Amino acid sequence: MLSIKNLHASVEEKNIIKGLNLDIKPGEVHAIMGPNGAGKSTLGYVLSGRDGYEVSEGEATLNGKDLLDLEVEERAREGLFLAFQYPVEIPGVSNMEFMKESVNAMREERGEEPLTAAEFLKKAKAACKQVQLPLDFLKRGVNEGFSGGEKKRNEIMQMILLEPKLCILDESDSGLDVDALQVVADGVNSQRSSERSFIVVTHYQRLLDYIKPDFVHILADGKIVKSGDASLALEVEKNGYAFLGKEYQGEEA
Amino acid sequence: MSEQIEQALERKYDAGFYSEIESETFESGLDESVIRRISAMKDEPEWMLEWRLKAYHSWLEMEEPDWAHVDYPKIDYQAISYYSAPKSMKDKPKSLDEVDPELLRTYEKLGIPLHEQEMLAGVAVDAVFDSVSVVTTFRDKLEEAGVIFCPISEALKKYPDLVKKYIGSVVPRTDNYFAALNSAVFTDGSFVYIPKGTRCPMELSTYFRINEMNTGQFERTLIVADEGSYVSYLEGCTAPQRDENQLHAAVVELVAMDDATIKYSTVQNWYPGDENGKGGIYNFVTKRGVCHTNAKISWTQVETGSAVTWKYPSCVLKGDNSVGEFYSVALTRGMQQADTGTKMIHVGKNTRSTIISKGISAGKSNNAYRGLVQMGPRADGARNFTECDSLLIGDKCGAHTFPYIESRNPTAIVEHEATTSKVSDEQLFLCQQRGLDTEKSVSMIVNGFCKEVFKELPMEFAVEAGKLLEISLEGSVG
Amino acid sequence: MSQWLNEVIDSASDVNDFLAPARQAALADLKNEGWPARRNESWRFTPLTPIEKRTAVAAKTVANAEIPAIDNLNAIDLVFVDGVLATELSSIEVPEGMAIIALNTSDSAAQSSITDMFGSVKPARHLFGRVNDALSTQGVFIDVNADTKVDTPIRIINIATQNVDAHSRVLVNVQANASAVIIEQSVGNVDSLTTAFAEYSIADDAHLEHYRFAMVTGSAKQLGGSHFKLHNRSTLNSTVVGYGSELSRLDVDIHHAGEFADAKMNAIYLLAEGELFDLHSTIEHAMPNGTTEENARGIVGDKARAVFNGRIHIHRDAQKTLAELNNRNLLLSRRGVINTKPELEIYADDVKCAHGATVAEIEEEALYYLLTRGVSRSKALVMLNFGFIQELINDVPNEAIKTWLLPVLSERFSHMEVK
Repeated sequence: MLSIKNLHASVEEKNIIKGLNLDIKPGEVHAIMGPNGAGKSTLGYVLSGRDGYEVSEGEATLNGKDLLDLEVEERAREGLFLAFQYPVEIPGVSNMEFMKESVNAMREERGEEPLTAAEFLKKAKAACKQVQLPLDFLKRGVNEGFSGGEKKRNEIMQMILLEPKLCILDESDSGLDVDALQVVADGVNSQRSSERSFIVVTHYQRLLDYIKPDFVHILADGKIVKSGDASLALEVEKNGYAFLGKEYQGEEA
Repeated sequence: MSEQIEQALERKYDAGFYSEIESETFESGLDESVIRRISAMKDEPEWMLEWRLKAYHSWLEMEEPDWAHVDYPKIDYQAISYYSAPKSMKDKPKSLDEVDPELLRTYEKLGIPLHEQEMLAGVAVDAVFDSVSVVTTFRDKLEEAGVIFCPISEALKKYPDLVKKYIGSVVPRTDNYFAALNSAVFTDGSFVYIPKGTRCPMELSTYFRINEMNTGQFERTLIVADEGSYVSYLEGCTAPQRDENQLHAAVVELVAMDDATIKYSTVQNWYPGDENGKGGIYNFVTKRGVCHTNAKISWTQVETGSAVTWKYPSCVLKGDNSVGEFYSVALTRGMQQADTGTKMIHVGKNTRSTIISKGISAGKSNNAYRGLVQMGPRADGARNFTECDSLLIGDKCGAHTFPYIESRNPTAIVEHEATTSKVSDEQLFLCQQRGLDTEKSVSMIVNGFCKEVFKELPMEFAVEAGKLLEISLEGSVG
Repeated sequence: MSQWLNEVIDSASDVNDFLAPARQAALADLKNEGWPARRNESWRFTPLTPIEKRTAVAAKTVANAEIPAIDNLNAIDLVFVDGVLATELSSIEVPEGMAIIALNTSDSAAQSSITDMFGSVKPARHLFGRVNDALSTQGVFIDVNADTKVDTPIRIINIATQNVDAHSRVLVNVQANASAVIIEQSVGNVDSLTTAFAEYSIADDAHLEHYRFAMVTGSAKQLGGSHFKLHNRSTLNSTVVGYGSELSRLDVDIHHAGEFADAKMNAIYLLAEGELFDLHSTIEHAMPNGTTEENARGIVGDKARAVFNGRIHIHRDAQKTLAELNNRNLLLSRRGVINTKPELEIYADDVKCAHGATVAEIEEEALYYLLTRGVSRSKALVMLNFGFIQELINDVPNEAIKTWLLPVLSERFSHMEVK
């Protein structure tokens, strides 16, 4: 599914990713943890093609296709989905309108007919229910006046509607209480399939109790320094990142 | 990301074509004899000619205003022709079948439905081509309701007393330079009268099309809503793509009697000039409404065209409890310049006004909001709320706000807010990450920015306005 | 043309000192521009008729004047009476690292510094600023050395006692990484005319705490300006308090000439019967990454007029600017007028810019709330009306000034008619 080789990337002339390697097969859930400032969010931004993030070396392919060569929306249409840590507001643009456009853009890419308003509404209602957002959220502006938890659930709802191949969840658990966490996790778990892969970026192990990863990686100082299975996350929870050694402490918030 | 948006917003002006129609056009130049000729062409009553001449003499004494935040080369008033009408109209066709088909094709091309069967069932149209009204649809149905909707030239003949009573009562001849000019040389426009207690059964609309070159368009519209009545009126405008500038100096007067409501919407799409600022319409308009007790006037406008715009639709809130509203989206790109806004004059008690102005600047354009909110000493308990938001696309344009607030009443409340922003990189990124291309993303975000204004437009035109905005923003992908 | 301006131009030709070139240029401008027409945007709501036919005559003798005290301020006072510096500079204990020099100094090195600074910050468009350029032979130049933090406030007081024209100039140069506290105060209520202009240059990493108390009243006419040029990473905190008089106008200009500078200005005006106060402020963001916050609040009494014009101009390259302007007004009577115009002129897109202006009566609910807590109606009205001024007073950085200002303004407010 995803293959990253020796990736080097910087933002605002600061090198953040310094030789990252990662391989993800379809159906796998990979967790990425690490100290703050290590480059966890940056990885998501670089893969999705955010402006301002420069790749100086290395390659990243999605199902064999060179990701780094594509525009943001092209990568999205190839099946890459990034659930933002801090989703932005777009006042005046209703969630309904936004998501319908997005869903139909994906469908067009796949050679499918666009959904009619009625068809889309049906799917949207079901998705709303799944993430426990009231139906009137569809009428409100994108993320407008949403609480942190509502924004995160909105991200998951979009993921459910867009049916991506590779989902990168950027700290989708930050700021959530246990109930909201359960909803988010249930939403993610419901989308797990043999054809879909996940990168779950998180600072705390807690989310991984709900979304059980196949692999856990520690990202420190711009590269993956240790990989293991779910037990690695438990180790981090117990001992923090100290075991990595001084040079990998990174910036603690 | 900003470079992608900021690329010159090249746009195909779909209405830029010219219709080959034989016209009778006066030679350029303006003097008393031209005015007499216009009055004669229209077969006007004597008092109307007198009125025009008085206006002309006042105009000669006045000075063109120069304080607006716009820059344009001086207009040579003698190089303009003040009258042009398709020759075929001279014989006063009684029905659409008698109208020059080329003329009809023009409106078809513009998407303006003149054949009653084809059209939006709820809209009556008065089509004005250069200096004359070509046809007014649905006259019979309106007459049944007692509604008068006809060209002002016709109203002067059929209902002279009504016109005389109200013309110039809201915008006096000497009000300003362009109003004086218009009062002297206006050629046509719509006259609307809604009788007491009547809700006009259809949307009324006038569509102005400038065709002949070197002519100016000076239309005059007068809408009178008698006590307790309601009318919704829409004005649309386009003009051919030309290298020279053409002048559009219109006057619109609205009179809302006690308990009446007038909704006036404009979707303006005059030729804006090319990306170097060559050509385009000069749009200098005086629009004003007077509200009597408990009356309401609502101005809604979507302005995307014209090279230079100078217009301030206003409300004089004379009667107690009257309400004035102004909703505007003004888009400028290329080298366009707009200095537009509104004046809300609160005279009566408990009067209310709401101003929502959304300016979008792109290219190398300059977009200025200029407003006046005035609370008179008798305006006890009056209230104004103003929100002016500017959206800048690219770093070569300008967005400006000049609100004048004057209050002489201690219980009157004025609240004014203005913000400036741009289509943020984060918003764009979010849309793109969800598979939408840049153009679509920008257009969606801009539409969202204008939502509050669009929802005030009559439904049919809200869709048209959205499309117009989308077309206007085309060509922004890098 | 106005008789007064003609006389000014005449007397200006007599001025011949080391600042001659700058004064000549100003004189030329005055001759060119002439007296502003009624429609002139800058004077639109502020009639200049009280000055138009005035006789321009300067003070011949320096009267003794009482200096208004501010307890515990412990400032160094530089007193100008009717435009003439009355303080003996040699008798002052000037703080270490600071120099205070009279404008008419004969020291050539000082003259050179003064010449460099004179007119370098104040925009040329201010009419009375040009008059001041031509005629201000009196004034002070304050220089604060780099890396020097002067806590002792320097207070420049202009007192009008006679019916004469007074012109004084203040130049303050706060050098790199230095800081100073400067107070400009004007008092007087006799028929008189004062032009008082001050220019401040705040160098890289420097800080200025500034106050302008335009407290002339009655028939004392004052036209003044405080102009600031901010360099990289410098900061300005300015508090303006304005009373009205027959004609009182203050122009404030804040120019971001460097990046990452931060300016904060609070202005309070309380106008009693028949007074006029006009505050024109212009914030120029010419460089990126600057921030400005301006809050002006005023209460206008019976037959008084407040004119506020707050302009924010963001230049093309001034990306990432954050600018905010707020003007709130209360009108106490139907015979008073408030004219406010917050302006935005923006040419850069990556900026956050907002302004707001209100004219509002106190909310009935707030009044009701106070009444239910046992406060008398008249006291409640005073509390609510004055409360919104109080918020800005609380923001004043200097404790002694804050302590002084509150009762002074309360007293003034109590004389204003409350409905």
